[in-house]
Amino acid sequence: MAQMNEELLETKYDGNVFGRLFAYVKPHAATIALCLVLVLVVTALNLYRPILIGDAIDNYIEAPAGSVPEGLSREELAELRADDYAGIRHTAVVYTVVLLVTLVCHLAEVWLLQKTGQTIIYTIRQEVFEHVHTLPLRFFDTNPVGRIVTRVTNDVESLNQMYTQVLVRLFSNTVLIIGYAAVMLRINRDLALLCFAFLPVIFVITLIFRTLVRRTYRIVRTKISSLNTFLSENISGMKLIQIFAREKEKSEEFAGRTKDLYHAQMKEMLTFAVFRPGISFIANFALALILYRSGVSVLTGAVTLGTMYIFTNYIRSFFEPIQELAEQFSTLQNALASAEKIFTILDEKNTILEPEQPAEVDEIKGKIEFRNVWFAYENEDYVLRDVSFTIEPGEKVAFVGATGAGKSSILNLIGRYYDIQKGQILIDGVDIHDLPTEKLRRAIGQVQQDVFVFTGDVKSNIRLLDDTITDAAIEKAAVAVNADHFIAHLPDGYDEPVTERGATLSAGQRQLLSFARTLAYDPRILVMDEATANIDTETEQLIQEALETLMRGRTTIMVAHRLSTIQHADCIYVMHKGRIRERGTHQELLAQDGIYKKLYELQQ
Amino acid sequence: MKRDKKKTAVLTPLVKRHALAYLLGLVTLFVVDYVNLFVPQFMGEVTDGLEAHALDAAGVLAICTKIVLCGVVVFVGRYFWRYFIFGSARKIERELRDTLFAKLETLPQRYYHEHKTGDLMSYFTNDLEAVRQAIGPAVVTCFDSSVLTVLVLYRMMTNVSVKLTLYTLIPMAVLAVFGYFFGEAIERRYAKMQKAFAELSDYVQESVSGERVVKAFVQEEKQSEAFRAVNENKRRATLNVVRLDAAFGPILHFLVGLTYVVAIVAGGYYTMLGDMTLGDFVAFNMYIGSLVWPMLALGDSITMISQGVAGLGRLHEVMDEQSEIVDDPEPDEVGSLTGQISVKNMSFAYQKDLPDALHDVNVEIVPGETLAVMGRTGAGKTTLVNLLCRVYDVTEGGISFDGHDIRKIPLHVLHENIAYVPQDNFLFSATLANNISFGKLDATREEIERAARDADIHDNIVDFPEGYDTMVGERGVTLSGGQKQRSSIARALLKDSPILILDDALSAVDTDTEETILENLKRVRQGKTTIIIAHRVSTVQNADHVLVLDEGRVVEYGEHDALLRKENGVFATMWKKQQLERQLLMED
Repeated sequence: MAQMNEELLETKYDGNVFGRLFAYVKPHAATIALCLVLVLVVTALNLYRPILIGDAIDNYIEAPAGSVPEGLSREELAELRADDYAGIRHTAVVYTVVLLVTLVCHLAEVWLLQKTGQTIIYTIRQEVFEHVHTLPLRFFDTNPVGRIVTRVTNDVESLNQMYTQVLVRLFSNTVLIIGYAAVMLRINRDLALLCFAFLPVIFVITLIFRTLVRRTYRIVRTKISSLNTFLSENISGMKLIQIFAREKEKSEEFAGRTKDLYHAQMKEMLTFAVFRPGISFIANFALALILYRSGVSVLTGAVTLGTMYIFTNYIRSFFEPIQELAEQFSTLQNALASAEKIFTILDEKNTILEPEQPAEVDEIKGKIEFRNVWFAYENEDYVLRDVSFTIEPGEKVAFVGATGAGKSSILNLIGRYYDIQKGQILIDGVDIHDLPTEKLRRAIGQVQQDVFVFTGDVKSNIRLLDDTITDAAIEKAAVAVNADHFIAHLPDGYDEPVTERGATLSAGQRQLLSFARTLAYDPRILVMDEATANIDTETEQLIQEALETLMRGRTTIMVAHRLSTIQHADCIYVMHKGRIRERGTHQELLAQDGIYKKLYELQQ
Repeated sequence: MKRDKKKTAVLTPLVKRHALAYLLGLVTLFVVDYVNLFVPQFMGEVTDGLEAHALDAAGVLAICTKIVLCGVVVFVGRYFWRYFIFGSARKIERELRDTLFAKLETLPQRYYHEHKTGDLMSYFTNDLEAVRQAIGPAVVTCFDSSVLTVLVLYRMMTNVSVKLTLYTLIPMAVLAVFGYFFGEAIERRYAKMQKAFAELSDYVQESVSGERVVKAFVQEEKQSEAFRAVNENKRRATLNVVRLDAAFGPILHFLVGLTYVVAIVAGGYYTMLGDMTLGDFVAFNMYIGSLVWPMLALGDSITMISQGVAGLGRLHEVMDEQSEIVDDPEPDEVGSLTGQISVKNMSFAYQKDLPDALHDVNVEIVPGETLAVMGRTGAGKTTLVNLLCRVYDVTEGGISFDGHDIRKIPLHVLHENIAYVPQDNFLFSATLANNISFGKLDATREEIERAARDADIHDNIVDFPEGYDTMVGERGVTLSGGQKQRSSIARALLKDSPILILDDALSAVDTDTEETILENLKRVRQGKTTIIIAHRVSTVQNADHVLVLDEGRVVEYGEHDALLRKENGVFATMWKKQQLERQLLMED
């Protein structure tokens, strides 16, 4: 989930956020241009409508002084002013046409815009998702899953509003303001200038408001993040809370956090409660002022009543776009913060580069060679020091040693999940830097200690997303690794639904499932990390048998805690503090009376 | 909209509690609307006064001052209705959030197996927010727009012209019908969009969690392809909502515009004939202008309310969930447990149609005894622990402590008397000291350190830069599996309960650490009941009794030494096998 220190990350990205956001609009430039034209049309028509009525008042409705004699009956008036009435009807027709055109243009604009926005969101989301999967494991070591998920889901989502609302509204509101200003100036310069005098006032107030909102908004975000972190953690640990009977304490802790959030949100709300009515008040004041000034001008005959109508009508609309801009400010702010985070992730480089001229290898046979390999996860903190060994195709070797001796790192390096600092790793005599990563990894079957189960069914967890693996092949693989027994016991067999957390499967069953998965992909090299730990003796028998099948004809490298499981290995390497200290078969090593002997004695 | 009474049960008392604030808020809102309506009237007065040359500059100024005064009242009022209504909505949101969390705490593990964390989280984020919008902004806009509409129409009729007002009602009626169907459609599509978004989140979550598998099996491209479908589904679902949502404004503007047409033709005609003044005409146009916002807001509030109802419905899925693990209405009076446990003819199935996970289990534990539970993966060992902790209720037969049926013992008493080390070694994002004292909040630092020493984790802890005050988790240090395991053993030891259960709690520690911890256990658990689940024979060397389970059935149960001597016994065979392995190694 979202992090407490998320705020720190925000400032990390200092590139041109706007430029990059606009880059996504480029493929849709024509559509956006069309939208902007439509916005112009709609804006122009909206400006035109009060003029239509204002003109109607001056030209038709208001009788010129003295043109209509006093004391006429309604019928006589109607007859006398038939032309005026025709003019009014004409105005009505024009007004209706204007409305219809506005409707069509407006609809076209919003639909096109939404479609474009959603398409852009789709594109960015796909890009982020695909990019994340290209990143090396190093990235996943330092970034929690929740944070990455938030980038792909919520952060991308908040860009949507920016594309569909803020950007075009920004344009349309600017157009509106300029439009109003132009028309006002044309009609009456003095009154127009009076209206403009309010703009700086509004601007300054908006500026102050911005600062306040930014501050409160940040606090709210942090509180929400911390609340969500608390929630997700405590939902995961609910069993423990219940068994330790800590419901009350956890409730109180939670209530403390919701209280903090509440106070932050109230502060934010009250900031808005002053600003929004404040702007309205200024608009109201402006209206009164314009009314007074134009009223006095009407008295002197400098201005007509129609002009007064237009101005009082405009002054209300004049503030709307400014207000709207201010309100959309927070949306834009969210979007920009999200965009920064997204771009930070997109700028993460895949450090595992593909070879520019890949070596031509038909089929990997499974020879593995380490030549003076030095490797550190961070800086100079070497976990492997000058490690060299050669494994011939079909050989089975084991790495043993205390925790932290560097065994698991060797497994990570063969599949090139990390790049080494010094030395060379070769597969079939070819440096793995010259092999396409895809080809390399396909040749390697990884059996991990923590078996990840995807939501789906048993079948889809063996096949993963490779449709070329048939049902028959799946069952064959399951039978070969002794997994068919427990699968047959499941209510729906191979179609039994399984979930992310895999509550339906036990650890041993998951292990067998992962064997089947590995076998179905038929790798040349088998890599096992403590695959037999955590499992009881009986299941281990099943697993041992399965392993025999799995290892047949494959180069196998395994790391195991218990020496009993590896005594048949062709060669055992004893790692100590990043170096290979001893090598040989089980008997040879015991005879050496070295570290292996000690490790072995420890297990007595 | 259909209103299901049950659907609002959580909300009603909360809203009632804040009824006064809501009332004050609505009254303020009404005052604001009422005062605001004087503005067009004053404008009409100015127009008429000027046309009839009945006003001088001072007269105009007087009316304009009145307009400004209205503005002041409106400004103050608007601040206060926000304070009252939005403030109450925030309060209710907070109360709902607390209630929801408290509810979650009562739900059994079964529920957590059926619901993903992400789904539960979305109740707290999306659904609560939707509810808040419905009881805050939606209440305001709904009330405001209705009141404004009525007030404006009333003023149009009394101040201007009844006939003209009736004409303008025609487009308004169309608007109302349009709004109704719009709300219905939006609600349906919105639910679909939410679902699509949830699916998308789940997909990403899983895909990223399984990154290692994705990379190892070179599934990156396949993942992208599969995601394309999920992503496209979300795009479509969203478009379905926003297309409708975006169309609302333009259509509304059009319908409001039509009222202007009516105003021009009819209003202009009446003015010409002298039925109404030019000032009335201007005021009338202003009134129509005042109708635009309520009509727009009405649409917004329809959307917000429908989303709120949907959100509340989902919240009720949680609130209506009944835990089957509850205190008996007439519990036995039990203060503490001695550690005597008896399991009689007990069977348990996770679901009705599933085979028994445990079948006809009988175990007698006397206080102070150490029982080892062994068996293959999936044999039912953890299930037995879950039943002893009453995470689930037995299906048949019974479990009793000191002669009290487990269901007759108040849950808090049961849980206070059991210390438990879970298989997954869950630790909270808190300091190590806080984590260890989780079972005994008032523990002193000495007690904490003693427990840590007994669990053989003390030395590791003091090696951390901040020692016992080191934070665990994303914001602090990352512990290894073995360190986590030992920390959670320390946590259980500190609780010092009559019953201690270790669920495969020594799997990630090496053999000599295991030896140390077992020695310490023997010492500190003297006279107290301990249940150890294990895979390795070495782990259970100090056990008085051993229970061997297989496929949910007891295959062997007896004294540790007796079982060892039993010819061809399962436990004896296991022991022999592991001995044989050692001997094989020794012989070489």
